[in-house]
Formats: sequence, structure tokens, C-alpha cells
Amino acid sequence: MERRRIDDYEPGPVPSPRAVDKFGFVKQEQTGSPEGAIKSRMTLKEWSKSVSTLLINLYNFLFAVDINIFREERRVRKWRKMIGVGGSDWKHYVRRRPQVVKRRVRKGIPDCLRGLVWQLISGSRDLLLMNPGVYERHGPGQRSLYNVLKAYSVYDRDVGYVQGMGFLAGLLLLYMSEEDAFWLMVALLKGAVHAPMEGLYQVGLPLVQQYLFQFDHLVREHLPKLGEHFTKEMINPSMYASQWFITVFSYSFPFHLALRIWDVFLFEGVKIVFKVGLALLKYCHDDLVKLPFEKLIHALRNFPEHAMDPDTLLPMAYSIKVSRRLEELKHEYERKNEKSVQSVESNGKELQ
Amino acid sequence: MARPGNKIIQAKLVLLGDMGTGKTSLVLRFIKGQFYDHQEPTIGAAFFTQILSLTEATVKFDIWDTAGQERYHSLAPMYYRGAAAAVVVYDISSTDTFNRAKKWVQELHRQGNQNLVMALVGNKSDLNSHREVEAEEAEQFAQESGMFYMETSAKTAQNINELFYEIAKRLARISPPRSSGITLNHETPDKRRRFCCIG
Repeated sequence: MERRRIDDYEPGPVPSPRAVDKFGFVKQEQTGSPEGAIKSRMTLKEWSKSVSTLLINLYNFLFAVDINIFREERRVRKWRKMIGVGGSDWKHYVRRRPQVVKRRVRKGIPDCLRGLVWQLISGSRDLLLMNPGVYERHGPGQRSLYNVLKAYSVYDRDVGYVQGMGFLAGLLLLYMSEEDAFWLMVALLKGAVHAPMEGLYQVGLPLVQQYLFQFDHLVREHLPKLGEHFTKEMINPSMYASQWFITVFSYSFPFHLALRIWDVFLFEGVKIVFKVGLALLKYCHDDLVKLPFEKLIHALRNFPEHAMDPDTLLPMAYSIKVSRRLEELKHEYERKNEKSVQSVESNGKELQ
Repeated sequence: MARPGNKIIQAKLVLLGDMGTGKTSLVLRFIKGQFYDHQEPTIGAAFFTQILSLTEATVKFDIWDTAGQERYHSLAPMYYRGAAAAVVVYDISSTDTFNRAKKWVQELHRQGNQNLVMALVGNKSDLNSHREVEAEEAEQFAQESGMFYMETSAKTAQNINELFYEIAKRLARISPPRSSGITLNHETPDKRRRFCCIG
């Protein structure tokens, strides 16, 4: 009976598929899709058949959505219980069941709780509570982003404002107020919970140099064939990975992926950046090893859409173990640096 | 694209200059013919390629567009090392950016690459009413520094293609067989050395 109704139905214009995702961003339209060209040449029978398939798919989809909504609600309830009112139970829960927290963060923090949880796991909530009124002193009050960055550059004159920070602050401001975002920046850069990140932005970008050194070694150890190919093509990580570290993937990566990375980054620290970087290379490994210099650089700066699906990429990233080696490579880098600091005579060769 | 017997030159080109002078906009105008009023800042560096065909040669540019903020200075050597051409950009409406350009030129000279094709570019020529740097002053500095000088506007596209054609022509004129950053088609691909070994 459904079929008959469809047969009687006059094929009208197909509504524009320009949908928005759950964050309100307009979804990218598929390029080169042949559907549009074929549609006009379909017979009525073919058309009605495809519509009924569509309806069945829609039904299945709605059913799946229903289950997903149910799961999502259950997940949010668990999280609320874990956090407590205004974050009151959080510390207690983390101390008692750290593995549970870790597992749940890795599955993604529910979007409605993300802002609060980020502040809890970065330690910025405590900073805010311990420093009442410090933030208001600085904000001259115009646009939020300007305010947060200005406030930070005044708070920490040694670091000041560095291009790249804006991407961090921008991401945070989507989930919290200016004051909260400011303190989260402070927590990250000054190291409230994890190692301080300010070295990413200090003169000489010392931490960027260290991370690139570590990443270069990890690539060679985890993906030796690709590492060799990079050597042959004269590719080093500064050509593609410096933004990954400087902005923690918030520059030129899909927003939904960046958020998932930030969930884990705030809880586990910078090692997730290494893991995701390695996972990206691993996922695209077989393509990358075939490419010559120009195409390789391009590929390393424009990963395909399917490589950046969080549900594929993140489990892969979690399975790559880097903690111990990162520590060792850090010491190696420091030893190497001590030596070169003694020998360099400010003749523009400080990067050797 | 390349005529038979026509030589192919592969050249690494680097853009240097203060932040907000329009380095990325210059490249995007050259490569895509586009201009954005609000171009976001470059973090680290960006990479582009473009091919220009001249009567005497076909030039394949590997373009490194660097971040302009002083803080990113320590990453720059990675990008200009082994370059065949360097474009130093300033904003004609800002003396500060011109002074910064001079510093970049000095730094490039210290690298001691005799064959480096260098261009001094005064961008934003559409802002003539706000001009702070006179063309004569820049022209003179360029001459003393062994560079050629051009005023451009990524916004109006003025002199953008001319700039890259001039660089291509100069590269074709010198194109020695074994200069770093330049590859001729008779060399084996493995001999391409765009960066000297790091670490």
C-alpha cells in the first residue's frame, strides 16, 4: 500500500541536501557525484522504486537513531553521576576509578558536558576558584577571542600573543565563557595537570623543536618503510606536523575530530597528538610510500576524509604505545641540545 | 606544457616577511586567482606548487609560504635552506614591515648562496593613500642588495603574475646544472636535494 501511494505521487523537486551537522556547520557536499546527472533521465517506475528503498532506509535510520539516542542518554547519565553537581564528585571519582574515567574519555565526552569536563580534567577549574577576580582585571571587553588572547598575553608577558593560540582559544570559547577559556589556557600553558605547554610558544619554539625531534624518531621506529621514504624524499616533520603540535590539531582538521582529540588531550596530555599523528601516517601508509616529494607534502597536509573519521582513527591511535619512548627521546633531545648549545656561535645554524 | 628540447627547472621558492604583509594572499592570487579579505594567519608554513611555461624553459615552483610572526623565526631556516628563489615581502603602508624585510635580506645574505634569485616585494599597492614606504627607498635598497624590486597588490592582482614570471626568467637564465634547489631534467631524481641534511 505504501507502494501505491508512491506511484500516485508526482515527482517534485528534490529538496536541497545541504544539511548541517550537530555543531551547526554546513556539511561539505560530495563533489563529482553522478546522481544529479542521472536523476533527470530516470523513468517513473525506477524513480518510485528508488523512493521506496529510500523510505525503508529512512525507517532503519530512524530506528537506529532511536537506539543511539537511548545509548547517548544512558552515557550522559553515567557522566553526570561521575561529575556530580558542578563537578563536586569528579576528583573523588578520578582517584577511585581512573581506568573507568580514561575509558569513557576515550569514547568521547558527551557534547553537553564537554565544556565543564574539559575544565575539570585540565585543572583549570581549581585555578579559577583559587584566583577570584584575576581575570576581570584584564579583559577590556570587545570580542571574546580578542579578550581571552589579550588577557593571556597580559597575564604571561614572556609568552605574549602567538599566532596559533587563537585556534586553541577559539575552540574553547565554543564550550565555555571567556573567563573559563582563559583559565583553561593558563592551565595548559603553565601545566596545571600535565607538563606545561608554554614552550610551544616561547622564543625559538623550543617545545615544537623537541616534539618534532621525538615525532621524527617515532615515525622511523613505528613505520620504518615510510621513514626511509621520507629520508629519500627529504621530508621532515616540520614540513607537515608543526601545526599539529602548535594548535593541537585545531588548525585545518575537521572540527568533530579535533573535539574528540581534545577530550583525550586534556585528560592524558600531549602524547595523544603523537599517537594521532602516527595513526594518520599508519592509516595512509600504503599510499604515502608511493608518492614523490610534492605529492607527498600535499598528502601529508590534506588527509582524506575517511582517514579522519574519529571512530576509525582514534582506536588506532590508542593502540600505538609511545609513553616510554617519548620519555627516552626527550632525554636524548636534551642531551643533544646541551652539546649544541655549547658549540653554536649564533651564526644561524641553531637548527643543526 | 613542456616543449620537446625545452628544459624543465624545478625550483624551491620561499616567501619571507612580517605577519600580515600578504605572503599567503600573494601565493593564492598567483595559484588560484583568488583573494580573501580575511585570510587566516599561517601557522608553521604552507606548501604550494605551480608551473610556469616560458619560451626558454618550464619552471616548476615548489613554494614554501612561511609564518610571518617573529616568534616563528626559528622554523624559517628549514624552509629557506636550499631555496633557488626568495621573495621578501613588506607592506607599503607600514615602515615596520619594511625594516623587518631588511632583516630577512641580511639573513639570506648570510647564507651565502650566490645564485639565489631574490625579490623585494612591496605588497598592498592598492593602499597607496596610506603609503609609509616610498618606492624609491625600496628600489635603492633592493639594488644595493642584489635583488629586483616590484610593487604588487594581491587584492587587485597588480603585478602578481609579472613577479613570478620575472623570477622564472631569472632562474632560467642562471639555471646551472648543479645549484641546490634547482633540478634540470637530465639529472636523476635521486639527486634532488632541496634541503641539506638535518640532524
